[in-house]
Amino acid sequence: MLTRWHDLSRTLAGLEEFRRHINRAFEGTDYPRWSQQTNTLSAHNWPTLNLYDEGNKLVIDAEVPGIAEQDIQLSLNQNVLSISGDRKVDAPEGYAVHRQERGAISFARSVSLPCQVDTDKVAAHVKDGLLTVTMEKSKEAQPRQITIKAS
Amino acid sequence: MNTEMTKKGVDKPELVQQRNWQAPPFDIYENKDELLLIADLPGVKSDHLKIHMDKNELTIEGLRTAVKHDHVLAEESEACDYRRTFVVPPGIDEEKIKAETKYGVLRLHLPKSEAVKPRQIQVKAG
Repeated sequence: MLTRWHDLSRTLAGLEEFRRHINRAFEGTDYPRWSQQTNTLSAHNWPTLNLYDEGNKLVIDAEVPGIAEQDIQLSLNQNVLSISGDRKVDAPEGYAVHRQERGAISFARSVSLPCQVDTDKVAAHVKDGLLTVTMEKSKEAQPRQITIKAS
Repeated sequence: MNTEMTKKGVDKPELVQQRNWQAPPFDIYENKDELLLIADLPGVKSDHLKIHMDKNELTIEGLRTAVKHDHVLAEESEACDYRRTFVVPPGIDEEKIKAETKYGVLRLHLPKSEAVKPRQIQVKAG
C-alpha cells in the first residue's frame, strides 16, 4: 500500500514537471499560464524549494508563509540540509467559515547538496514569508580560475 | 518552431510587461461585524500589495521582485505575482477596510456598514 502511494505521488510530481516545461515553452507570449495547483497542501512537497548556484555559494529559498523564524528548524549534516517546522492554525475564534484553502501544516524536507559546504558559514533568514539559506561552498568546491600561460 | 505558436494575437491588446501570475490560497471568515480574508502571499512586500474595490469586486494583487539567478540547480516554483478577485456582498464599509501583513500572510478586514449589521430589538413589557 505504501509503495503504491509512493508511485502515485511520483506520477503527480512528473505531471508538475510537465506543467513547468509547458510554461517555459510559452514564456514571453500572451498565452495564459497553466497555473499551479494552489490548494494542494500535501506535506511531501511543502514548502517548494529552489536551489541556486552562485559561484562560491549555494542559495536555497523556500516559501514559508505564516511561519515565524523560531518555528523553522534547519540542520546540516555532511551535505544534507534538512528543513522542518510547523505552521499553526491561525483561524480566528467566533467566525463562520466561508472558505478554507490554507491550513496548519507540519513539514520536513531534506535536500542533498551538490557539493560540500562550509558548515560555519551558513546564514538563514526569513522575510515576508520567504526563507533564504545561503551556504558558502567549502574550499575544495570553490570554482577556480586557471590562467593559461603562453609558451 | 511552429510560427502559429508565437504569433501575437491581433484581436486583443498586448501587455507592456510580461509577468506570470497565480491565484493565492485564501481563507474567508465572517462574523457579525466584518468579513475577514486571510491569504498566503509569500515574497510580497507590504508596499507591493494592491487592494482595490470596484463596485462589488474586490481585487487583491501582490507583486514580487524576483531575483534573477543565472545558475538554477532545482526550481520547484517560479516566483510569480499573485492576483485574485472576489465578489463581495453589499454592505461593506469601503472607507474602513483594513489590511495587515505578517510573515507573508495578508489579513484583510472588511467591516460591515451599520445598516446591514444585525440589530437586537428590545421588547418592552407593556
